[in-house]
Amino acid sequence: MFKKILIANRGEIAVRIMRTCREMGLKTVAVYSEADAAALHVLEADQAVFLGPSEPAQSYLNSERLIKAALDSGAEAVHPGYGFLAENAEFAEACAQAGLVFVGPPGSVIRDLGNKTVARRIMGQAGVPLIPGMMTTSTDPQVLAAEAERIGYPVIIKAEAGGGGKGMRIVTDQTALEETVLSCRSEAEKAFGNGALYLEKHLQRPRHIEFQILADHHGKVAHLFERECSIQRRHQKIIEETPSPLMTPDLRQRMGQAAVAAAKASGYRNAGTVEFLVDQDGSFYFLEVNTRLQVEHPITEMTTGKDLVREQLKVASGEPLSFNQEELFQQGHALECRIYAEDPEADFFPSPGLILFLQEPSGPGVRNDCGIYAGFEVPVEYDPILSKLIVHGPDRDAARQRMIRALEHYAILGIRTTIPFLLDVLKAPAFARGETFTDFIECHFPAWKQSEETAELAALAYGIDERTGKGGQTERMVFKGAPSPWETLGPWRMVKS
Amino acid sequence: MKYQIQIGAKTIDLEIEDAGKAGTVLATVDEKKWPVSYQTLSANTLHLAVDGEAVRACLARKNGEKHIFINGRVYVVSEKDRQAGKSRSKKNWEDSPGEVTPPMPSVVVRILVEEGEWVSQGQGLVVVSAMKMETTLKAPMAGKVIKINTALQAKVMPGDRLVEIKEEARDDG
Repeated sequence: MFKKILIANRGEIAVRIMRTCREMGLKTVAVYSEADAAALHVLEADQAVFLGPSEPAQSYLNSERLIKAALDSGAEAVHPGYGFLAENAEFAEACAQAGLVFVGPPGSVIRDLGNKTVARRIMGQAGVPLIPGMMTTSTDPQVLAAEAERIGYPVIIKAEAGGGGKGMRIVTDQTALEETVLSCRSEAEKAFGNGALYLEKHLQRPRHIEFQILADHHGKVAHLFERECSIQRRHQKIIEETPSPLMTPDLRQRMGQAAVAAAKASGYRNAGTVEFLVDQDGSFYFLEVNTRLQVEHPITEMTTGKDLVREQLKVASGEPLSFNQEELFQQGHALECRIYAEDPEADFFPSPGLILFLQEPSGPGVRNDCGIYAGFEVPVEYDPILSKLIVHGPDRDAARQRMIRALEHYAILGIRTTIPFLLDVLKAPAFARGETFTDFIECHFPAWKQSEETAELAALAYGIDERTGKGGQTERMVFKGAPSPWETLGPWRMVKS
Repeated sequence: MKYQIQIGAKTIDLEIEDAGKAGTVLATVDEKKWPVSYQTLSANTLHLAVDGEAVRACLARKNGEKHIFINGRVYVVSEKDRQAGKSRSKKNWEDSPGEVTPPMPSVVVRILVEEGEWVSQGQGLVVVSAMKMETTLKAPMAGKVIKINTALQAKVMPGDRLVEIKEEARDDG
């Protein structure tokens, strides 16, 4: 096992990875940009290395600086977390070339699975069900129009290099196809420098279900069951749960086998996630493989009792998987809510700024993976995720009620967050019935506004606070730019280069 | 003591009178009368018993307003006659459509026009990015760009006038 790990990430995921490292007796090295000089992940690490300006390209996306930081600090492995360089094949290869262990699959696997049509070909050959569609790409509207006729409308246009909904559009009939192809092509060119597109049949109201996989370097692969991720806003997940309310033991077994087949066919190593769409008739189709630890991995940890970061580190250090498929089982039900710095009353607009007050929920079955504290200024440069609230209960309804209880106690003041919105989703009868589809938010909460049911109590609290004179004032902590390494380094040593 | 409380579009009349005992008051909220006892737990937390029912409130002050948390909901609360000192916020941005200013704290990622350039109404001027989401700030009216007050990678706030446009008809002659 390694002795020291560099975490090439920030925020809640960096803090979460450090927790497991500490439990395993491994030293941690944090990296940070100017905006993150006083970020929680920097304060939690054994050692911290300054990368550069706040702009991601100058810091968390800068492969050279990250590798230099790892070598200078004497780290043996690099954990990429999710986002930033986590699914960057060149970074994984550069780590290997520098003699560092990249905690994830090899660069070649990341590259194959990151290319959507290559991934479709690999899965097709392994017998994993595919959404009817193209196996090659094209930039020619005429070719794509002919393919659309063959597949049958509605179709979904996707970019070969796709991600984050860019270059992705649904077309319901042929009159709109050509023009939509042109705009997707230019969007994909701008976003990825690659305008190649392909078509898939568009499924009506599918569910988004993914399987967690783990593969060691000795040919052993296991799946850790499913996660249901249908509640999304802007194609991004906001609530996840496991088990899926839709799942049957038979479907779970077939999908689990397909996920393991997908991992084996691609030569997968370490932790990954195979995403599927499940149609209304219960047929399932391969969507993509995420070659990293997922944001929503904690719900799998809660129901299987496995620490996925620990398993990742063990596999990366060459150890075989310590369990067989038959030894794994799911206990109870887990839910995760993503707490974003966004204004849910204003179309989920970003809401960065200074956290004035923080009260974290606790109690039985409650876990809060949090990357902020009162006095921290949430930067404008990065992803809006502040924390993830995870609960575990004996069954779905108990977990749902536990989540409501936890959210009702979760106070983040100073910026807008998704907490009040999440509460209404969890209380919605359709959610309670398990009717979770990818269009759930558009259907049930278009133009959501917070109810004013407790506004009178807020007015009363205002008056009492005026009267007692304590005033809820929070002193602002002032950070004078980036502290020098002498202030931020924990235990350190000189390394000969 | 009487207060006119403003929460969003809603106005609430509040009156708080002594109830004789320390830590207890009689509150009139709009038409409702409540006996209230309270404990200040910290500078940011209040415990109330409103007509016998327990309520926990968390508070923080910002720009002359109070952000008040009750049971998972957060209200931005102010007094009607004290709103003069309110600083620039998103509302001000919505109220001033004539200004080219970002809707939220953000970073300038592209500047699409130059000083002296003619622009038409709705033309994109500056692209700002906050938390990976890009927003294009558009020309509120047709006119001439007389000044650009920002630069690439600059951090900007709501209320900052990034581009100044002088409204005038284009002289095509």
